[in-house]
Amino acid sequence: MDHVMINMRLLFNPGSVAVIGASDNMSKLGFHVMKSLTNGKFPGKIIPINPGSNTVMGIDAYPSIKDYKGEIDLAIVVLPAKLVPDIFKECVDKGVKGSVLITAGFKEIDDPSGAHLHIETANIVNGAGIPVIGPNTFGMINLNKNLNASFTPEFSNLRKGNICLVSQSGGISHLLGFMAMGLNMGFSKIIGLGNRLNIDFDRMIDYLMSDSDTKVITLYIEGIDNVRGLIDSARKNRGRKPIIAYKTGKGKVGNQASMSHTGSMAGRHELYRSAFDQAGILSIDNTETLLDTAKAMSACPLPEGPCIAVLSGQAGPSMAACDLLESEGLKIDSFTGKTQEKINELLPPLALRTNPVDMGPAWYDSDAIQEIIKAAMNDENINGIIFLMMFASANVDALKGIRETLIKWQQKKPVISCILSPPAIWDEEIKELEENRAIVNYPTPERAAMAMANLWKYVLIK
Amino acid sequence: MKIIKNALKEGRTVLSEHESKSVLAYYQIPVSREILVDNTETLMEALQEIGYPAVLKGCSSEISHKTEKGLIYLDIRNENEARNAFDKITKDIGGLKGSVLVQEMIKGQRELVIGLTRDPQFGPCVMFGLGGIFTEILKDISFRLAPLEKRDALEMMQDIKAHKILDAIRGMEPADKDMLVDILIKVGKIGLENEEVKEIDINPVILSGSKPVAADALIILEKPNV
Repeated sequence: MDHVMINMRLLFNPGSVAVIGASDNMSKLGFHVMKSLTNGKFPGKIIPINPGSNTVMGIDAYPSIKDYKGEIDLAIVVLPAKLVPDIFKECVDKGVKGSVLITAGFKEIDDPSGAHLHIETANIVNGAGIPVIGPNTFGMINLNKNLNASFTPEFSNLRKGNICLVSQSGGISHLLGFMAMGLNMGFSKIIGLGNRLNIDFDRMIDYLMSDSDTKVITLYIEGIDNVRGLIDSARKNRGRKPIIAYKTGKGKVGNQASMSHTGSMAGRHELYRSAFDQAGILSIDNTETLLDTAKAMSACPLPEGPCIAVLSGQAGPSMAACDLLESEGLKIDSFTGKTQEKINELLPPLALRTNPVDMGPAWYDSDAIQEIIKAAMNDENINGIIFLMMFASANVDALKGIRETLIKWQQKKPVISCILSPPAIWDEEIKELEENRAIVNYPTPERAAMAMANLWKYVLIK
Repeated sequence: MKIIKNALKEGRTVLSEHESKSVLAYYQIPVSREILVDNTETLMEALQEIGYPAVLKGCSSEISHKTEKGLIYLDIRNENEARNAFDKITKDIGGLKGSVLVQEMIKGQRELVIGLTRDPQFGPCVMFGLGGIFTEILKDISFRLAPLEKRDALEMMQDIKAHKILDAIRGMEPADKDMLVDILIKVGKIGLENEEVKEIDINPVILSGSKPVAADALIILEKPNV
């Protein structure tokens, strides 16, 4: 492992963090970064750097990192861009291992001085093998280490988990983070790459492949210079951990001036998509599906085949799920004879008893529902289960009845659900089932079906 | 490659069909048998060699869209038809530098396109899709970055909507996928090994029975960055 990779580990798992530009003034980003670290209950040493005050948020502050006697692993920088080269020289001298450079004003600005500053700054840290997240980033969060190195303290409210988000956009990171809170999803890390001084998608993927906290890697990409690097890194690591990518910027079409058909039809977006397929990266085309897919990948094993059992408390939602599953290439085939016999014993011949199963006649009988689920789980023809149940006053206790079966199963084959009640009634029970790895739940049957379909798509491309 | 170097030396960035196919043939990509002629005497010799039915085309690096310009005569069945076509082509080419290409007529109902484009970020990318007049109309195409592995080539064929055209349909033989894989990999290789190649169109690649054959080709060059 090279020097930068060793330092990356310390960047994400520091014992000590300096905030260069820490402040008690709410109108400064240095205030919010301090709040993120303290509210997030960072267990290591926090070292505010501010030449104008002795303490920040009640913590001893220092005029510069030189004045602090101990070691500093991570330096979060929120000072104006023009000061950054000198600050980084101090960081090199001090032996800082990594940096999060929140400051904007580098190559993203119109003025060419930004690009010059970018190169000057990069040269300083590159020589010392210091990895830098940013510039022009909101920061990064390592939830498993209670490290919130961003200017948004609320990211610490996210549940800990095994999904990592690597994003080129701070806005999208906030959007996805807040959406994920509503979906009760757990994250290992959220990383805003910003303008990528020396850490781009390729190095980040390399690092995350050996990060034991991360099981699923999600990427948000707008457009990058070193796209070959990203593809090569993903190809090299193909099949090790799922990579799911959402790339925006479809608008740009092929080279219209091209003299050949091939040239004029090769739009940048098509090339991205093809390259993702080729590298085993699953392409997604909206934020919602990106999270839905990551959520399923985080809890479920990959299905061994395309055949899905759709078990529904009511017929309608199962039609919606089946339509989507079939249009995405999954199969809703027959059960084995043994399973079918069992279901026929449990359900009167009033409704559809073959796959998809309408469990309507048994909706008040959770024992029967439980036995049907078990039979489908153990059916050798079935590779995954979609379970749909809408609340009704008469089945308010249904989840209590099937809870144990679902929890005991522990996702040996994927169990993806749309269990829905009016607000509050089943919310806690659903959450408990999710946290016990019994189900992965979605608000609509289509989204549940799409999550299952994407698990299978990944199997095909990985 | 010599053909490429010579063209650039002459200040040309377009290879004629015959030159383009020579590049493909050098990489062992199957191309139609063909002979370049510039008078009726050599025309007759060429027809003896190629046999009937034959195809006569105007061939010049200054002409890239022959169909639109009426410079292709298909299904030539005898000397008379050949002479007529030859006269018309030479007249239409007029002052342009070029000659007439006598080609075997590849028989097959299925036309594919295989191409290459060099993207500033992705580098050489190989394209596969429906060929002939459908290429532009349906844009049923897929791309992969070079170098291609066998798996990539198989997947990109499967990626087009009309992938069933490669199966045994309506009494036709299934396409020889191993040969197609080989061509796709080699087109990528041309891009990787020849920096000066900017774009390649092999359109149509005709399935003659099960075997793909390049029936027309165009290579666009660019001067390498010094």
